[in-house]
Amino acid sequence: MARVTTGITSSHIPALGAAMQTGKSRDDYWGPVFKGYDPIKEWIAKPENTPDVIVLVYNDHASAFDMNIIPTFAIGCGERFKPADEGWGPRPVPDVIGHPDLAWHIAQSLILDDFDMCIFNQMDVDHGCTVPLSMMFGEPDEWPCKVIPFPVNVVTYPPPSGARCFALGDSIKAAVESFPEDLNVHVWGTGGMSHQLQGPRAGLINKDFDLKFIDMLINDPETLSKMPHIEYLREAGSEGIELVMWLIMRGALGDKVKDLYNFYHIPASNTALGALILQPEETAGEALDPRVVHSGHSLEAAE
Amino acid sequence: MTEKKKERIDIHAYLAEMEDIPGTRVFTAQRARKGYWLNQFAMSLMKEENRERFKADESAYLDEWNLTPAAKQAVLDRDYNAMIDEGGNVYFLSKLFSTDGQSFQKAAGSMTGMSEAEYAQMMINGGRSPEGVRSKKGGY
Repeated sequence: MARVTTGITSSHIPALGAAMQTGKSRDDYWGPVFKGYDPIKEWIAKPENTPDVIVLVYNDHASAFDMNIIPTFAIGCGERFKPADEGWGPRPVPDVIGHPDLAWHIAQSLILDDFDMCIFNQMDVDHGCTVPLSMMFGEPDEWPCKVIPFPVNVVTYPPPSGARCFALGDSIKAAVESFPEDLNVHVWGTGGMSHQLQGPRAGLINKDFDLKFIDMLINDPETLSKMPHIEYLREAGSEGIELVMWLIMRGALGDKVKDLYNFYHIPASNTALGALILQPEETAGEALDPRVVHSGHSLEAAE
Repeated sequence: MTEKKKERIDIHAYLAEMEDIPGTRVFTAQRARKGYWLNQFAMSLMKEENRERFKADESAYLDEWNLTPAAKQAVLDRDYNAMIDEGGNVYFLSKLFSTDGQSFQKAAGSMTGMSEAEYAQMMINGGRSPEGVRSKKGGY
């Protein structure tokens, strides 16, 4: 049977993709970010850790969905998805190859489990989906695994509640586990952490909130899932609301998890960045060494 | 009757809270409706042929989009705060600043009243503190 072996969180900001494309990923500004991702890249490149399929939770940034249609939870069931042209031409990355059998299985299972999904077959995927792939897999000719795009509306209010996202993750786990084929499935939650991209308050970063969020995501996601939207907005900035998507990933991992790797960095352009590898405690592998890495301004080196 | 549903969120209180954050315009339905055409115009810039037509004659291109005069002027001025007042959303408007070859950081910084260099330095110094800008009413 298929299993959710791993949850990963990652930033998806377009500037990371641009830094790779323009050869700046090892300069003074971006170097610490990419260095923080190096252990994840090495870890995921090992055959036993490379997923067969990723359920990639992200928000579409007004690329595939305009004001005409605003699905709260959507799932890509098509064969392949092209990188979107977001105003500067499509990102020069491979097409995302879907897994229609598993995607349709998850879609049907979720609907029977009271999540009224929006299903799409044809859709371009934007930086929210492709930048995390680039950060984990570099610049290959094709992605090393199948990807099921799973866009969540966090742009037009109200987005789904944290509790609803957490419960959805649990339903995704059940759906994956009822798929007969033997597959290593990852669920990725992308976006965040604290950031605000609009108005006079733009540039907001809240390290204390972010580090507490990571801790609760690992140790007490149930309580975390009850945090109301207004607290995300006040504490983590208007775009910090993307963090609700991490609860979908966390919900898919069961009660107890082990953090194999825990990276936090300030700043990546306008944002604070968090990248985690989590696994269900009962099947968790070895933690990376070092396990916790903090970098950037105003952060003491961890461990 | 089915079992009573969980406690419901009061939508009026929810929406009122969204207006309580200093320097922030949350993209509520009210703003989404106001900015419908402005945001759809921005989406149109995802196609190269539209970017070319827009660059060739911005004013004429904008006239195709049913914009209010204030929204049109805000686009011509590249005044992102004014665009957001007109119901624009930054992810839609990103198609405009990408068409201009600008980064997210430059566009976001332009809304703060800081220079590009000052804003970039603030981010390197750890970003803007939430202290004092969490709540208008509460003043914390």
